Amino acid sequence: MIKRLLLPLLFLSPLVNADSGSRLIASGGITGFEGTAGGGITPWAFISGYTSKEEISYSANVQYLSLNDYSLTTAGAGISLFDRVEISIQRQRLDISAGLTSNVFALLTEGAVTNANSTTIEQDIVGAKVKLFGDGVFTQNSWAPQIALGAQYKKNRDVDSSLSLPDGTVPLPEIGVPLLLGAKDDSGIDIYLSATKLWLGTPSGYNLLTNLTARYTKANVFGLLGFGAEGNDNAKVEWEGSVAVLISPTTAIGTEFRTQTNRLGGLAEEDTVIDAFIAYFPNKSISITAAYVDLGNLPLQESSSGFYLTVNGNF
Amino acid sequence: MKLLKCIPIAALALLNILLSGCASTEKQSLYDEIGGHKTLNTVYGVAITRIYTDPVIGHYFKGVPKKHLRDQLVLQTCELIGGPCEYDGKSMLESHKGLNIKEREFYILVEYVQGAMRDVGLTYRQENRILKKLAPIKYETVYL
Repeated sequence: MIKRLLLPLLFLSPLVNADSGSRLIASGGITGFEGTAGGGITPWAFISGYTSKEEISYSANVQYLSLNDYSLTTAGAGISLFDRVEISIQRQRLDISAGLTSNVFALLTEGAVTNANSTTIEQDIVGAKVKLFGDGVFTQNSWAPQIALGAQYKKNRDVDSSLSLPDGTVPLPEIGVPLLLGAKDDSGIDIYLSATKLWLGTPSGYNLLTNLTARYTKANVFGLLGFGAEGNDNAKVEWEGSVAVLISPTTAIGTEFRTQTNRLGGLAEEDTVIDAFIAYFPNKSISITAAYVDLGNLPLQESSSGFYLTVNGNF
Repeated sequence: MKLLKCIPIAALALLNILLSGCASTEKQSLYDEIGGHKTLNTVYGVAITRIYTDPVIGHYFKGVPKKHLRDQLVLQTCELIGGPCEYDGKSMLESHKGLNIKEREFYILVEYVQGAMRDVGLTYRQENRILKKLAPIKYETVYL
């Protein structure tokens, strides 16, 4: 799939300029944990990297988010075409500690089973984004933002990956964590519309970035807990926003939020995700972002917050 | 969780106060603040030297006298950032018509001007405020 997608583009690249691109530094944002350019948790209308209308660039990214009994590791690659289209692939892996799965069994068996193995949930995301109109950086004589429409096809690989006990037994065959919590499907498509604007010289000479994204989705915890729920299979609009200030030519600080629908309920109640980040862009080839992320409730971990680190490369 | 939802808004408000706290309250034009004609003339002097020798965009300026271009750019920027000037040269649309300037080429030029502002000693904040005024020129130059 990946090869088929990227190979023709590799042949294309000698025809156009394929270094990291000529757009202004930091104007590509970073690559979020779903593989899409923007903030850490929400897409922006800006196309990844620094391509102009005449350029192609490639990107690669890794992220790590530590949330006590959960940790999320993601990695992916993308291609940015002519400051118009962005295509990305991302693999996410959520590690769930043995302590937590043990608690799940303890709860399910009313204390009869208190020991289980750790588990992982993997998800693949193929994303595509198209800039519809606007120039969020250079149209400084109007308030009009840049608008992009995007989609993320998400496939959870572990909805039916059974949990096992230390003795190797599998008490609930073909029921993975997402199904156990009431999820209905293993895949879904998020559709989002983003409006992004960079306000040069604002406030007081710094550059301010504002973004608002509406996402139509039925993902549970981004899809890591599957899609839809028994009894509530409707997609809903979620809201996401980012505000960032470029405090120097190479450093941005900001904050983001992302709403979630509490579809599964019970243990898997979902809260609004928020983060605060600092991103460093030493040059156009690399960026490093550290953030503090608060997801609110995750199953059996009421207050899930922790540090997020991501490194992006453009070439 | 409701409390948490307010944090981004509160943080932004705080940031705004912090950032604007150190801004001067006097109503001095940006032009005067950066040192007027002298500074702009130095900025464009530095930028033009680099632009003329750039392998990608240098060719556009063949036959254009450096002094003429420099004066025009200074005049135009002066007017845009609140100086006592009135640009009376050819309109940007007019002077770039038929050149089919690419976006990439425009960005290269922007970076030279940005770099020159930095080298001449303008602050990052002054640079951004000037760029804000120059940015819309993009649509009077590319792909015409």
